[in-house]
Amino acid sequence: MANAPGVRGRFEDYALLWLLTAVIAVLSAVPLARLVLEAVRPGGVFSLDAIRRVLESATTWSATGHSLVVAVGGTLLAVTIGGLVALAVTLTDIRARNAFVFVFVMPLLLAPQVVALAWIQMFGPSSALLKMLGIAPPLGTPNPLYSPGGIVLVLGVQYSPLVFLTLRAGLRALPQELIEAALAGGARPRTVVRSIVVPLMTPPLLAGVALCFVSCLGNFGIPALLGIPGNYLVLPTLIYQRLAGLGPDALSQVAVLSVLIGLIAMVGIVVQDAMLARRDFRTTTAAVEARAFELKRWRPFVEGALWTLSFLTLMLPLVALVTMSLVPALGVPLTAKTATLDSYRFVLFMHAASHRAFVNSFSMAAVAAVMIVVIAVPLAYFLVWRRSRLLHAVSLVTEAPYALPGVVVGIAAILLFLKPLPIVGITLYNTIWIILFCYVARFLALGLRPVVSGYHQLDRTLEEAAQIAGARLFRRLATVILPLVAPAAAAGALLIFLTAFNELTVSALLWSTGAETLGVVFFSFQQGGDTNYASALGVLTICVSVLLMLSTILLVGRLPRGVLPWRD
Amino acid sequence: MKTIARRAALVAFAFAAALAAGVAGAAAPKGKLTLYTSQPEHDASMTIAAFRKAYPDVEVEFFRSGTTEVMGKLAAEFAAGAPKADVLLLADAATMETLKKDGRLLAYPGANVTGIDAGTYDAGHTYFGSKLVTTGIVVNTAAKSRPTSWADLDKAEYKGQIAMPSPLYSGAAAIMLGTMTERHDLGWPFFEKLKANNAVAVRGNGAVLTTVASGEKPYGILVDFMAFNAKAKGSPVDFIFPKEGNPAVTEPVAILKTTQNPDAARAFVDFILSDDGQKLAASMGYIPARQSVGMPSWYPAGVKIHVMPSNIPKIVETNTGNLKRFSEIFGK
Repeated sequence: MANAPGVRGRFEDYALLWLLTAVIAVLSAVPLARLVLEAVRPGGVFSLDAIRRVLESATTWSATGHSLVVAVGGTLLAVTIGGLVALAVTLTDIRARNAFVFVFVMPLLLAPQVVALAWIQMFGPSSALLKMLGIAPPLGTPNPLYSPGGIVLVLGVQYSPLVFLTLRAGLRALPQELIEAALAGGARPRTVVRSIVVPLMTPPLLAGVALCFVSCLGNFGIPALLGIPGNYLVLPTLIYQRLAGLGPDALSQVAVLSVLIGLIAMVGIVVQDAMLARRDFRTTTAAVEARAFELKRWRPFVEGALWTLSFLTLMLPLVALVTMSLVPALGVPLTAKTATLDSYRFVLFMHAASHRAFVNSFSMAAVAAVMIVVIAVPLAYFLVWRRSRLLHAVSLVTEAPYALPGVVVGIAAILLFLKPLPIVGITLYNTIWIILFCYVARFLALGLRPVVSGYHQLDRTLEEAAQIAGARLFRRLATVILPLVAPAAAAGALLIFLTAFNELTVSALLWSTGAETLGVVFFSFQQGGDTNYASALGVLTICVSVLLMLSTILLVGRLPRGVLPWRD
Repeated sequence: MKTIARRAALVAFAFAAALAAGVAGAAAPKGKLTLYTSQPEHDASMTIAAFRKAYPDVEVEFFRSGTTEVMGKLAAEFAAGAPKADVLLLADAATMETLKKDGRLLAYPGANVTGIDAGTYDAGHTYFGSKLVTTGIVVNTAAKSRPTSWADLDKAEYKGQIAMPSPLYSGAAAIMLGTMTERHDLGWPFFEKLKANNAVAVRGNGAVLTTVASGEKPYGILVDFMAFNAKAKGSPVDFIFPKEGNPAVTEPVAILKTTQNPDAARAFVDFILSDDGQKLAASMGYIPARQSVGMPSWYPAGVKIHVMPSNIPKIVETNTGNLKRFSEIFGK
């Protein structure tokens, strides 16, 4: 400390710190504690009945088994794809790397349920694409994606960018001199990979695996679209069905199920935490780049393989989705004559709930992003520059709602807000505010990370100069720090916006008439058999997401490196 | 005594006047109205748009799902003491009877039922059938054979080829179940054989249409208007009226007793039963309750659809047991 702050200044510091701690407690610790309480004290009376009933039910264990199968399967696939792509993109001299990373990472920021529908459209007997190729399955063949294998495939593709990003960050931090020494000593590239790259890459790889496992485990949209038709339930879809079918009566049961999925997720979170040792490879990257292996005559083949992969896993499903949104009815082939914009006209101009959903999702995503930035900028100040045991705890608690599956947060929020709030007497359940609460709680960690890495790149002397000049904390935050971390905060806000805009897991549990989100309307179109409306809505949300991602090109050069996953 | 009688008469008069004023006030209903319906998204949106043209001061929000699921949501809201819905437009009369028995429905004696078959609305005027929706067999046009009766669906050639709506989601399917299981020629064995023939119960009728039109299953059990509307738009499907007849529902409209906006709710019932509302239904492919307004364009001229008679009071009693037995057979 250059200069001890005055008494008022110190008071201001403490007030702000405790205010932030209180906010984090309300957003994260209180709902999760309430959830655990419900599991052991259903309806306010201590009893292990709810736990026993849930644990004795065969459905619980079949859904748990299914969850583990698809989470492990999806993770293995994601690790295979993401790992190979990370090696190729980071260590070799392929061309058009930025464009490829943009395209490869994109599925991660699209709505999983929309991606699942796109895949459904691509397969099955009426697939326009398969028909064109003359390989459409015969009439009466069920869509092959309505199976555990289908769920694993789509989960694996959806989350392979997660593994890619963690590994890529790790690879970039590789000590270059080791590799150079090995190469100079005559080691072949294969030997270098085996004896240097792989051992050093094990921690980030395991972290990526764990992160991917937790994401697959908590995903709702993909198993909802691909698993419900074949009655293949996983824990998130089981919780959703119980709650939708039985209403608040089922709360104690679903609370126990949520704790169960939370405990499984904890295994992944603990592994991730141990491997990263508090260092976040997802958003912070070292700037040192290892020298690329020259692929020479293999380069076109590697490039071709990478782009073919993106073509098969992203472009083709999206083309199938667009095709579906343009035909007048299911089973009609798309031709110049049959093409119609009727589905778009319907969701844009005639369907009131779609309208509301656009307004709701857009404004909730925007408000959540702004609120999180307002919390994250001062919070990161303390986390980065004022370490303490309290702050360490605060940081862990902040991560919890994002690390845990979305259903856990959703059910916790219902328990907390079902009854009117004490003192004010307002009921948040069945209103839009409960969804907004969950968005802020859940995505806070997502917005905090870029801001934290923004602080790490700041030179603190500026702030200290302002302090010596007598500026108190609020003033320093507003006039010195905020302008400096603004690009990072904007990047975080954009990530939050994209995630919340496409969100379904939480809102599927919490929505009510008038408080629909885009995810919910899409899901109810799809469940009601209105596939072409669902497709049109899906295409529109994808357009919004991609446009927002592209708009970040304007921010080039002003962002700390690595805060936006799709910006290389 | 006399003064008391006079006073009573005066009070009665004042009351009647107030009532009349209330009725006159109903001429321009306004405010918010929440509809829970099982109509497909498109049809519900069209219905609300047309209603709002007639009553521009009423804001309508709606929730749509299968009748059984809408009832689940309502039951949860009743339990919480705050039902959100004002009006219901659900698939079948048995559901409405159940709500009526529980005292949830508000009678509307003034509803316009002229020209509507007395069998389709409640004598106590709590719910009013708005359409006739029959269930038959849908086939993908690329399918090899054409079943002509329900009993045909048990044949080996349809093994693993049939999709049906689940009564655990759809009200029309629940009535089909309650109607067919009471018949000697079909009964529970019909459903047991369907299961033995690997028929799958998907969610609602919309999901059946998706499955058949996309060719995942070439045959399905489906409501008439959905099949004909899809066919009119170019979907490769045909609709078959089976020999034994079609089970049918009346898609009744009703007002919840707990409505916050009775004027707008009555206006909604008025609109559904009006000639305009009935013509709208016909234009969307439904057989209207007041058939004098005209039939949907798909309706086979000169043919009378053979409707399977349903014993609604009996179904009200047996429905819960039926759903349980169905879920045991089909494992859902």
